[in-house]
Amino acid sequence: MPLSQAVKDLVVNEYIPRYPTKRAALVMALWAAQNEQGWLSSETFEEIGELLDLDATDVNAVASFYTMFHRRPIGRQLIEVCDNPPCLVNNAHETMQRLCDRLGLESAAGHGGGTTADGEYTVRFAECLAACDMAPAVQVNYRYYGPVRPDDVERFLANMESFSIETPIPPVPGQSGPPAGAAATPAGMVKEG
Amino acid sequence: MAQTPPPASPAPDGAPQGAPPPAVPFERVLTAAMGQPGSHELDHYLRRGGYVGAHKALTSMTPEEVIKVVTDSKLRGRGGAGFPAGIKWSGTRGNPAPRYLVVNADESEPGTYGNRYAMDTDPHMLLEGMIICSFAVGINLAYIYIRGENLHGYETLELAVRQARERGYLGRGLFGTDFNLEIYVHRGAGAYVCGEETALMESLEGKRAQPRTRPPHPFQVGGGLFGRPTVVNNVETLMCVPHIIVRGAEWFAAIGSPNCPGPKVYCVSGNVNRPGIYEAPMGLLLSELIFGDEYAQGVPGGRAVKAVSPGALASPLISGGELEVKLDVDAVRAPPYRTQLGAGGIIVYDDSVCMVELLLRAEQFFAHESCGKCVPCREGTHWMVDVLRRITAGRGREKDLDLLNNVAGNMSGLPFHQRTLCALADFAAGPMMSAIGKFREDFDYHIREQACPQQRQLAHA
Ligand SMILES: Cc1cc2nc3c(=O)[nH]c(=O)nc-3n(C[C@H](O)[C@H](O)[C@H](O)COP(=O)(O)O)c2cc1C
Ligand code: SF4
Ligand code: FES
Repeated sequence: MPLSQAVKDLVVNEYIPRYPTKRAALVMALWAAQNEQGWLSSETFEEIGELLDLDATDVNAVASFYTMFHRRPIGRQLIEVCDNPPCLVNNAHETMQRLCDRLGLESAAGHGGGTTADGEYTVRFAECLAACDMAPAVQVNYRYYGPVRPDDVERFLANMESFSIETPIPPVPGQSGPPAGAAATPAGMVKEG
Repeated sequence: MAQTPPPASPAPDGAPQGAPPPAVPFERVLTAAMGQPGSHELDHYLRRGGYVGAHKALTSMTPEEVIKVVTDSKLRGRGGAGFPAGIKWSGTRGNPAPRYLVVNADESEPGTYGNRYAMDTDPHMLLEGMIICSFAVGINLAYIYIRGENLHGYETLELAVRQARERGYLGRGLFGTDFNLEIYVHRGAGAYVCGEETALMESLEGKRAQPRTRPPHPFQVGGGLFGRPTVVNNVETLMCVPHIIVRGAEWFAAIGSPNCPGPKVYCVSGNVNRPGIYEAPMGLLLSELIFGDEYAQGVPGGRAVKAVSPGALASPLISGGELEVKLDVDAVRAPPYRTQLGAGGIIVYDDSVCMVELLLRAEQFFAHESCGKCVPCREGTHWMVDVLRRITAGRGREKDLDLLNNVAGNMSGLPFHQRTLCALADFAAGPMMSAIGKFREDFDYHIREQACPQQRQLAHA
């Protein structure tokens, strides 16, 4: 699916003028693209490369360095559970285990994750989210929730908003997920993490 | 932020000379608005005396005077290295324009989250600090680099920048002067090493975030952002600045530890009853922070403190018997602690935590985050994970501890840039060596009994 004109305009009119070089707009451009498409395809790399006068392989080399850019479709809701030490000693692995059990995903010896067959959820561990006081801290499509203790998992899945730790702020065009068209993930095809 | 100190705390300017000044009760300034609805809005900030410091600096002081006040305040960087802010600024100002300011809002080290609260609560305080810094150093273009995961922080900052621009606090001719400043917010995309200042600049330039060779240093031509002289400061460092300008260098220098003064936002996490951020004078006693009623209120279930990472995960561990240490940059470095304050993220581990399991998870973090540019770091972190995994899997050998110490020793040691390009290698090595040094019995038990002393698996298999 090609990038929309809106994303291209955003990159050209908003992001490129912010920096002395075109290349510097790359990460912001990749964000805008991923938020629209749900993930980053080779086709998207070509399109972004054209906007910024970069080679598609160059764009790919940069994108692949960063853990938040997806090279494959993922679930509509990306649930990430932090299991760095402050969250770990507050039972993050049990939270993960319960999440996986509840969503019918495999989870062995603390490892968890994958995408549900209906493409609704992708679950994975995250490194520290800078919410260690809310341990175990969780993000869903990069929104902050916590603490989500093992016993909270059922309630959390039923009503995530009651676990939100954010104050409402107007979203920013091009940057705020979840992906607008939330790429319909072909059932069962993805395993990430 | 109050424009004038409350009556209870006499202005240091007006304090009688000669006699030691009366003890001034500590007043929270960095987190004063926490919990107040709408505190992130420009009007809310203005009602609390916002932008008074920027106005004062731009309309009644020279850049040199501003730098002098910041230098005299003895403000030291809050991002980890504790470098004096005034010296960094004057060094950068001494090099030719254009110069840039980059705010380090990458905050990714396990145990730190103070910048996130600060930006959510008072984004304009950060913008005001940036205006003052930019004026002092002669900068007209500044960026805030915020980690990608903190989407909410990004949105809050974007809103604040828009409001400031609309109302003339950013843009051209600030406060009726001829000083211009633009600020842009830039999102990262996940990678702990982006917090290292040269990796951060690479990332901002649209490249893979791998640290650069120094010299040239960021404040020099060729070493900074887009090759220009650049100030990189942490969020909290800059948020101190408006208060220093309004209340004076003496006010700041009189708070807490004399060599490293000022208010400090400590983040407490791990096994404590009340995790959270606590603003206190720099140099607060660790035991008070963990057990104090105003602070974290002790350990759940009344368990004992076994270990503490006083400067987040990258700092060498100290034991539960070493809690009477002052939390300032220099005090924690001294023997017997020999650790780091980092950005002030205190992680508390109770006596149910096995240090071998903990270290395995910690080294997994560093191995995952190593950018791979230097051999000792790239190889060393994976070596340590392999050996620790072997030990936790019940296949440890006596000589593994020497091996771990050796690997860690080869990764660290001062000055770090002679072995590796950045301090991430030291961050991985320090906790390892301190754990073997201070919690040897956990390692010995694992190796001898081929089992965990706590019967509890913490890390991934
Ligand atoms: C691996 C690594 C990660 C770092 N992460 C951060 C960070 O998230 N935030 C920060 O302010 N400084 C971080 N630093 C320190 C910065 O390199 C730099 O010293 C700091 O931003 C300077 O600002 P300050 O003088 O105001 O403290 C990190 C350093 C290293 C080696
Ligand atoms: S020390 Fe590690 S993280 Fe730092 S530059 Fe070298 S390999 Fe990269
Ligand atoms: S350790 Fe989990 S959010 Fe920091």
